[in-house]
Amino acid sequence: MYIWHGAFQSPPTGHVTAGAENRRPDGTVHLAGQSADMRVAVIGAGVIGLSTAQCIYEQFHSTVSPLTIEVYADNFTPLTTSDGAAGLWQPYLYDKGNVQETKWNKETFDYLLSILKSPESVKMGIFLQSGYNICTKPLPDPSFKDIVLGFRCLTDRELQMFPGYSYGWFNTAIMLEGKTYLPWLMDWLHEKGVKFHHRKIESFKELADGGADVIINCTGMRSGELQPDPELKPGRGQIVKVDAPWLKHWMIAHDYKSDGSPYNKPYIIPGSHLVTVGGTFQVGNWSEKNSSIDHKNIWNNACKLEPSLKHARIVEDWTGLRPARSKVRLERETIQSGSTTIEVIHNYGHGGFGLTIHRGCAKEAARLFGQIVEQKGKGPRARL
Amino acid sequence: MFAAQFPDIPLERQRRWFKESFDHLSAIAQSEYASEAGVLLSSGWQIFKEVPANKKPFWTDFVIGFRFMTDHELKRFPDHRFGQAFTTIKCECSSYLPWLEKRFRKAGGQVEQRKVHSLQELSTSYDIIVNCSGLGSKTLVGDPEVYSVRGQVLKVEAPWLKHFIRDGDGKTCIYPGVHSVTIGGTRQEGDWRTHVDEGDTKSILERCKRLEPSLRKAKVLSEWVGLRPSRRNPRVEREVVVLQGRRVPVVHNYGPEGGEGGGCAAGPQGARGPQLRPWGVGSDAGLGYGPGCTGAGQAVSS
Repeated sequence: MYIWHGAFQSPPTGHVTAGAENRRPDGTVHLAGQSADMRVAVIGAGVIGLSTAQCIYEQFHSTVSPLTIEVYADNFTPLTTSDGAAGLWQPYLYDKGNVQETKWNKETFDYLLSILKSPESVKMGIFLQSGYNICTKPLPDPSFKDIVLGFRCLTDRELQMFPGYSYGWFNTAIMLEGKTYLPWLMDWLHEKGVKFHHRKIESFKELADGGADVIINCTGMRSGELQPDPELKPGRGQIVKVDAPWLKHWMIAHDYKSDGSPYNKPYIIPGSHLVTVGGTFQVGNWSEKNSSIDHKNIWNNACKLEPSLKHARIVEDWTGLRPARSKVRLERETIQSGSTTIEVIHNYGHGGFGLTIHRGCAKEAARLFGQIVEQKGKGPRARL
Repeated sequence: MFAAQFPDIPLERQRRWFKESFDHLSAIAQSEYASEAGVLLSSGWQIFKEVPANKKPFWTDFVIGFRFMTDHELKRFPDHRFGQAFTTIKCECSSYLPWLEKRFRKAGGQVEQRKVHSLQELSTSYDIIVNCSGLGSKTLVGDPEVYSVRGQVLKVEAPWLKHFIRDGDGKTCIYPGVHSVTIGGTRQEGDWRTHVDEGDTKSILERCKRLEPSLRKAKVLSEWVGLRPSRRNPRVEREVVVLQGRRVPVVHNYGPEGGEGGGCAAGPQGARGPQLRPWGVGSDAGLGYGPGCTGAGQAVSS
């Protein structure tokens, strides 16, 4: 596990520092004559918030100057939803027509695959793992069949390993462990001058008043507190983390219902140190407390699927709320607040596939940011 | 487990040995005993710098999900032009042997640790002798065909590695195990040295890191040398030997190359004939005689 050793920003003190500058209401300074500067406030420090901050920096730090990026969150790694996820790159079986999501998933997979050549991959928590998606009846090929490596149907002999299941697929996918990836992202951002604020943001206006030109809303499950969204619901997931290092494949069972809710059948996903055993997908359940009944069901179902688990040492249970939505909300919104306008880019609602889709979404959010830069005349043309 | 074809043994018999071994271990891997026995399913790739003459060796039916690698998969190995992907079994003898011995003793078997210098020492105490002495057969039964193929490996800490990678030349391999990853190796024919060779260590690390760059972040835990008991063909046959006036049947079962030894573990039981009941998982039969093989083996840890 990779620990982030950076520091959070102290709250503003209201000092006036020497020099010819203007002081903003929050105490920070705005250098006179620098009309091309952009201040970006990212709310949320899960995989979505951090990777969006990274993409914006990557694409604009040389053309927008100065570019100030600040991340605000009340939970940082290892306490975010991204930290608890097993870390397997795999979208839901079908995208239900959301072809953009499949595109973003593919961009993310290809990005992670390209990093595998480098020894950095270990520090980022990225590695390959193969495994089995098993079904109780034949299903159409999943959306990710051409994205992953070596996708194929299961042979009869393989299906014999899973009594009760009659169909399925085998492929090699990528693992991206949040507990390692998030600290790596924080270090990367910290090195580039991005600041982190450990506090809960109560409204977009709060940040706009503080001088933010653009607000990126990556608040996942609790986006509804900043702006009500009836489409956003918790998809409660409880997992059991166990020590079973002889397991080298992931296995995910599917019982495909018309509403497409995945992950309420057993799944077993080995990580770099522990194995994640699940699962549940309880829509509307806001409880972040571990349930003994869920533990029992998860454990019994998983042991039926993988008898050797009987001898695995149980380490701990964890519960997270997937920010479930009919589709990802990734769009701009210009909010009127009195006489001013607040530019917001929403990037939330990634359900159980945040790690899977993060890079594609971050790049799209950066593209939307670019539109705002152009509109405000702060792009390279402003320099001429 | 990787199977080489033995030149003078009928292919059908070899196929049977490898298939039985694979199925036997596969059943353990899928049972609750998997972790204690150190037997696990392992998927991965065997890759070739040059396209081999035989792209589909005889064992492709025994392993699981055998297919050729796609171009997308081969991109990770720019030095290699062809590859096979499949799921096989890893059998970790450091766990498997103690597990077998535990079951053997539980079934009434007896184990005596001592070096047997000649079959004469056993002639008056036993009705049947089964000779599994590997390299030791050279001196124990005077077999001139037995020779050593030296193999050095390293054990590294790289728990993020979940696939095996093996170069088709047989010399470079990465095998993730339960608690560590074994990387290798060497094939030095006629080399009987059991101590670690620093030059080999360097070469192994270089070759494996080339295949799997993330190994640069892996800590080396230990180095080990083993001598594969090699022979043109494994010796699996019966003979009757006269020992101190008694005619004693001897069953020989040695000589599959160390790397492929696992492939023959369960196989040749049939060759022993009706006097012995096969002993394995699920069977309650014990083999009620002292093995002629403990203590005569030559594999040593450094």
